[in-house]
Amino acid sequence: MSVSELFRIAFIEKDRWKLYLQGLGITIEVSIFAAMIGLVLGTIAALMKLHTNRSGKITIFGRIADVYIDVIRGTPSVLQLMIMWFIIMSNCRNGILVASLSFGINSGAYVAEIIRAGILAVDSGQMEAGRSLGLSRFQTMRYVVLPQAFKNALPPLCNEFITLLKETAIVGYVGLSDLTRVANQISSATYQAFMPLIGAAVIYLIIVKLLTILFGKMERRMRQGDNR
Amino acid sequence: MITVKNLHKSFGENEVLRGIDYTVHDGEKIVVIGPSGSGKSTFLRCLNLLEVPTSGEIWLDDTLITDPGVNIDKVRQRMGMVFQHFNLFANLTIMDNITLAPTKLGIMNSEEAKEKALSLLNRVNLADKADAYPAQLSGGQKQRIAIVRSLAMNPEVMLFDEPTSALDPEMVGEVLDVMQELAKAGMTMVVVTHEMGFAREVGTKVLFVDEGIIKEENTPAEFFDNPKDPRLQDFLSKVL
Repeated sequence: MSVSELFRIAFIEKDRWKLYLQGLGITIEVSIFAAMIGLVLGTIAALMKLHTNRSGKITIFGRIADVYIDVIRGTPSVLQLMIMWFIIMSNCRNGILVASLSFGINSGAYVAEIIRAGILAVDSGQMEAGRSLGLSRFQTMRYVVLPQAFKNALPPLCNEFITLLKETAIVGYVGLSDLTRVANQISSATYQAFMPLIGAAVIYLIIVKLLTILFGKMERRMRQGDNR
Repeated sequence: MITVKNLHKSFGENEVLRGIDYTVHDGEKIVVIGPSGSGKSTFLRCLNLLEVPTSGEIWLDDTLITDPGVNIDKVRQRMGMVFQHFNLFANLTIMDNITLAPTKLGIMNSEEAKEKALSLLNRVNLADKADAYPAQLSGGQKQRIAIVRSLAMNPEVMLFDEPTSALDPEMVGEVLDVMQELAKAGMTMVVVTHEMGFAREVGTKVLFVDEGIIKEENTPAEFFDNPKDPRLQDFLSKVL
């Protein structure tokens, strides 16, 4: 069979390209929701881990964050997804919701350590200056330290979101037809694996590349204050 | 205005302050000198509780600020602080550096804060830098901005922690000039510094801190021309 014939079968025949697009839509939807949940959870967990009492000791919040990070990092994400789908949220059959939550909680554990590293990289004089002006710890965090921490954290955050995007390829386990599952189904239906699988891989590659460019732009914009 | 009673501070086993008693009156310019590791910076940082004293009392007027029940943020709004390494907020423009605290603390609205910032920037000849970021400024400019940032809060007292120690020699003058002007305007100041000329000219009292206590306290003229403590005599012979 010629390459163009393989291409026709994989993408054109029966309007199959629409299936890839729908799959890609689900992949992106789950990724975006999960990334947002992960960013919020991760930031909260990072702040909890850095929370100290007056004598500089870690508080109960730090221990809770530690347990969260340990449990999530210590178990496979596909198991977390299945536990979420079959046990914790077994009453909810909205696959997108369950997958987004599951991946968001998973991502949050990694984001927590990324943000924490970003905060620790900010000079302690920034917090001291804020406090010396009468701003509270929270206000200084919010307006001075966190913006700089996010800037520090952008490269590893980009990494994390790329990993997250590709990891959503396992949502087929809870019945969602994402890009990977669509490609798999089409290759089964047509008895031709090459075009659907390579095609899906190329689509992932393009999305990741776009994400990288987007993060590069954000980084340049946030670094404008560093120009000398 | 500030009264310190039997102030002690330890970092673990290391006892840095070993009982400091002192009173700063309204309008005084107290200059603190001493060898490195003597505890002079720790003493200054205790005054606005950036370091929490191990024991002792610090009073700001009628408020015992070492009392754990005191709202320290409110106390700090009345005390400006200038750091050796400037510590300008790297993510904010000069204007936002200055207006952040007054606006977020609800002391001024954003127009008032901007107006105040501009008039202060004019005083230090840096109004053209309002939209610049700290990284674009020289050390001397950064430190003048840091002083302005503190002044924007209308503090009753200013604390200076070696404000010229991180500067290139040629930039020391411009910062000292601003401080001198501030002193003339009547600001109460506590200055930790190695600038002996400044101590002599601007100080109303000079303190020599060594081994965690105040070893000598006198008017600048007596302090420099007629030092009594042997350690101070030795110190002055090396730095003058």
